[in-house]
Amino acid sequence: MTTEDADFELRGELVRPYVITNGRELPSEREFSVTTLVTVTDEAPNSRVLSPESRSILDLCSGGYLSVVEIAGHTGLPLGIVRALLAELAENKLIWTRAPVPSAESADKQLLKEVLHGLRRRFA
Amino acid sequence: MASYAQDPAFWSLAAVALGSVGLTVRVSLKAKRQEKGLTEKLAQAEAKAEEAAREVQEVTDGKISTVLKSAMQTLRLLAAEQQVKLDELQREYGGHKILQPLLEVNHANAQFARRALGIAVLCGGFSGRRKEPASVYDVIRSAQGQISQFDRVKIRDQSGFAVVPSAVDGVALAVAELLANAASYSPPGTTIEVNLQPVQRGLCIVIDDAGVGMSEEAKQRAAALFSGEYRPGLSELGNPPQFGFPVVAELARRFGFHTDVSTTSPWGGVRAIVRLPETLLTTERIERRSTLTVDAVPHSAPGEQPASERTVNGLPKRGARKAPIALVRTPRVDDRPTAPAEPATPAEPAEQDSRVTAARMAAFQQGTRTGRQPIVPSQEGQES
Repeated sequence: MTTEDADFELRGELVRPYVITNGRELPSEREFSVTTLVTVTDEAPNSRVLSPESRSILDLCSGGYLSVVEIAGHTGLPLGIVRALLAELAENKLIWTRAPVPSAESADKQLLKEVLHGLRRRFA
Repeated sequence: MASYAQDPAFWSLAAVALGSVGLTVRVSLKAKRQEKGLTEKLAQAEAKAEEAAREVQEVTDGKISTVLKSAMQTLRLLAAEQQVKLDELQREYGGHKILQPLLEVNHANAQFARRALGIAVLCGGFSGRRKEPASVYDVIRSAQGQISQFDRVKIRDQSGFAVVPSAVDGVALAVAELLANAASYSPPGTTIEVNLQPVQRGLCIVIDDAGVGMSEEAKQRAAALFSGEYRPGLSELGNPPQFGFPVVAELARRFGFHTDVSTTSPWGGVRAIVRLPETLLTTERIERRSTLTVDAVPHSAPGEQPASERTVNGLPKRGARKAPIALVRTPRVDDRPTAPAEPATPAEPAEQDSRVTAARMAAFQQGTRTGRQPIVPSQEGQES
C-alpha cells in the first residue's frame, strides 16, 4: 500500500470556500433571495482588491440583470458564498440589486365587466 | 647474620621477596600501561556505542518513517475523499443555514490534511496529484485555507503566473507552514501580509508578520535547515514536535524552490520569502477550477466566441466562463412600457449569435415585463 495510496488525484477544490469570502459572515436569505436580480453599477472596480470570484460575478452581471441563483449556477459556488460576495460588492457599491420581477397584477374585474357590458351594448 | 647467609632458606626467602618486589613493579607498570589502553578503549567503546545508538535511532527512525509515511498517506487520501463530499454538500445546501457549519468542517478537514501531508513529507513521501496548473494567487489561498486563523492573511497581489500541476500542493503546503508559523508567532488580530515580487527567473512569495521576530540562534538554525545542511530525523523534532520549518525545508529540497526567513518584516516580525524558480511556473491558461458544469443551463449559442485569455490587468482569465444567458439589456429607463430593447443590427456579424440571442431574450423579457405593468391609459395606443 504505497504507490496507489500516494498517487490519487485530488478532486477537491483547491481554494476552500471560506477563504473566498475571507471568513465573512454569510448573509441571510432575505438579503439576497434566489430571484433577486443583480447588475453592475458604474463604479470602476479596483481590480487589485477584488478576488477572481468577485470579478467573475461583475463580468457575469455586466450585460444586464442576472438572478442570484443564476450567478451561483455560473460560478459553481455555493449559494451562501455567492450571497456573501454579493453583500461585499453591494457594500462597495459595485452592484445594484432589484427585487424580482413582480408577477402580473390581476386585472380589475369591475373594469372588465364594464368593457364587456359596453361591447355588448354596442355590437350585440 | 652470617648464619643467615649460609642458610639456604634465607636465600630462598630473599629470592622470593626480590621476585615479588620485581613482580609488583612489573605489575604496577603493566597496570599503568593497561590503564592507558583502557582509557583509550573506553573512549573508543563510547564512540562506538554512540554510533550504534545513532544507527539504531536511524534504523528505528527509518522503520517508523516507513510506517508513518504509509499511514499519513492513507489519512491524506481519506481527508481528500471527505473534502470532495463536503464540496458536494456545500453546493447542494448552499442556500441553507447548514452551510456555515459545513464550512467549519471543511476548515477542520483542511488543517487535518495539511498535518497528514506534512508528516508524510518528513517521512520521505508525498501524496495526491493535480491535473491542472493553478494561479499563484489560488495556491496561496489554498495555503491560507489550511491554517487556523486564515482570516488574518491578506494577499495584496495577484499574478499572471501559475504553478505547474505537480508543484501546486507542495508549494501550497510550504506556504501554509510559513503562514501558520507567522500566525502563531504574532499577536492575534494582527495582519499577515502576503505580497508577490517577480524576480529574475522566478517569483517571490513574501510573507510578513507583525510578531516579535526570531532570535539570531533561531535564524541560524532555520538557515541550516533551509540550506539542507541539517536534516533532522523524526526523533529530533523536539517535544512537542516542531513540524513547520523541517517540512518547508524538505519540500524546498524536493521541489527546488528557495526559502529564507533571515530578514525582518516592516513591522519588526519575520519576513519569510519563498522564491519559486521558473521551472515551477507557467503562464499556461488556467482552467476553471470548479468541477461543476453548468451545461444544464442552455448556453447562448454554440458558436460563441472564446473569451480572451487575459484580463485588462494582464491576469489570466479563469476561462470556460460562458457568456451570461437570458440577459435583459440594461433598461436605463426602467418602468416605462415603451419600445423593447434595440434589436441587434445585422451589420454586426462579429458579435453574432450570442448578442442576437441575448437581444431576443431581452425583447422577450421586456415584452413580458410590459405586459405585467399596471395599465397606464395615457400610453395606450402609442405602441407599434
